[in-house]
Amino acid sequence: MIRVQQESFDAGDEQRALLAGRRDIGAVVAFTGLVRDFNERPDVQALSLEHYPGMTESALTDIVAEAESRWPLQDVRLVHRVGRLEPGDAIVLVLVASAHRRSAFEACDFIMDYLKTRAPFWKKEHTASGDYWVAERETDHRDARRWEASS
Amino acid sequence: MTLTHLNARGEARMVDVADKPESRREASASGFIHMRQSTLQQLAEGNLPKGDVLATARIAAIQAAKRTHELIPLCHALPLSGVEVDFRIDETGGGVQVTASCRLNGRTGVEMEALTAVSVACLTLYDMCKAVDKDMEIGGIRLEEKSGGASGDYRRASPAESAPIVTGEGASGEVSLGVRCDLGEPCVRVKCLAELRERLGVGEVAVPFERLESADINGLKTVLKDMDARFAGLEEGRVLCAVNQVMAGGATPLTADDEVAFFPPVTGG
Repeated sequence: MIRVQQESFDAGDEQRALLAGRRDIGAVVAFTGLVRDFNERPDVQALSLEHYPGMTESALTDIVAEAESRWPLQDVRLVHRVGRLEPGDAIVLVLVASAHRRSAFEACDFIMDYLKTRAPFWKKEHTASGDYWVAERETDHRDARRWEASS
Repeated sequence: MTLTHLNARGEARMVDVADKPESRREASASGFIHMRQSTLQQLAEGNLPKGDVLATARIAAIQAAKRTHELIPLCHALPLSGVEVDFRIDETGGGVQVTASCRLNGRTGVEMEALTAVSVACLTLYDMCKAVDKDMEIGGIRLEEKSGGASGDYRRASPAESAPIVTGEGASGEVSLGVRCDLGEPCVRVKCLAELRERLGVGEVAVPFERLESADINGLKTVLKDMDARFAGLEEGRVLCAVNQVMAGGATPLTADDEVAFFPPVTGG
C-alpha cells in the first residue's frame, strides 16, 4: 500500500495493520525518516514538502514494484507526508515484510535509496536565517547506484 | 484601515470629494455566467429567441455603469469617459466570461461602476437566455485591477501567484491541476514545480500547440523562451522534465493537451 498524505502517521499502527491476520511473514523491517533540526544550515524550524500529485504515486508504485521483482517480499507499506513539518516529525515510513530478514533489510534500503533519487518530492527548509530549497546530494545518487551495479 | 462611508457615529455618509485632486482613474472587473453547452452553442450561433444576446448585454452593461450612483446608495454620479465591455465564450469552462473597464478623470474611483457593469451584463445574459436554460449560474464577480487615486493601484494576484503549488504555511502540498487554455484551442499545459517555480516566478502556463515549431520538449522550450524571457532559467542548473507525469527528455514528442512539468532534482525522503 502506498500513501501520500499531509496527516501524521503512527508507525506502530501501520505495522499492526500490515501484519493483521498474517502468519506467513517471518520478518518486518521498518524505516522511519524524521525531520532534523540541523541540515544544510542550523536551526531548521520547519520543512515544507512539495510533490507532484499523480506522478509521485506512480513513481512510488514503480519503486515498490522494482523491489518486489528483486526480492521475495510478502508486503510493502510506504507512507510519505507532504506539507509543513517540524523537527521531530516523521516524514516517511517504509515497512517491508518477507519470510526472511535479509530480503526485508535489503529491500527497505533499496526503496529508500530509490525514493530519494527518483520520487518527485522537494523539500524547502525554513530556518532562523531564511528559507531555502534543499539541494540534491551526490551521496544519495551514489547510494542509489549501488543497486544498479548489483543488478 | 477605516471604512470611509461611515461617519464618527457609524452612520452612512457620502464622502466629500470636492477637495480631492482630479486624476486619471481606471478599474476593471470580471464575472462569469455558467450555462449548459447547448445554451452556449445557441448563444454563439445567435439562435436564441430574444436575438443578439451579447450586443444587448453590452449595451446593458454600459448603461448600468453610467447609472451606478442610482443603485449603490453612497456612490457619486460620475461622468465616465469610457466603458468597455468584453465577452469571452469559454467552452471548456461552460459559460461566458464578462469583463468591464471604466475610465474617467475625476476625484473618485470607478471600481463600483466596473463591478456594476459586469453584474448587469451577467443579469442581462441570464434574461436573454432563460427561455432555454434556467440552471444558469452567475458567479465570480470581482475587481481585477484599479489605478489612480490616493489609495494606490490594485491588481488581483493571478491564480498562480495567489495559490502557489508550494506547501507553504500550512497550505496544501499539491499542484493545482487542470489549467485551461484560455484561447479555446489545443494547447500544451506547462507546470514549473518547487524551486524552479519560485526561481522563474511562473507556476502554470498554457502554450498553443500550433506555436510549436517542433512538437517536442526542445520545441516547447524555444516557444516558452520566446513568450517570456524568464524561461531562460530552464537552461540554468539541472532541470528535469516529465510529459504526462512520465520522465522525459528534450526529444520526447508532444501532442496537444499534454501536461509538461519542469522541476529541479528531487529531494524527498
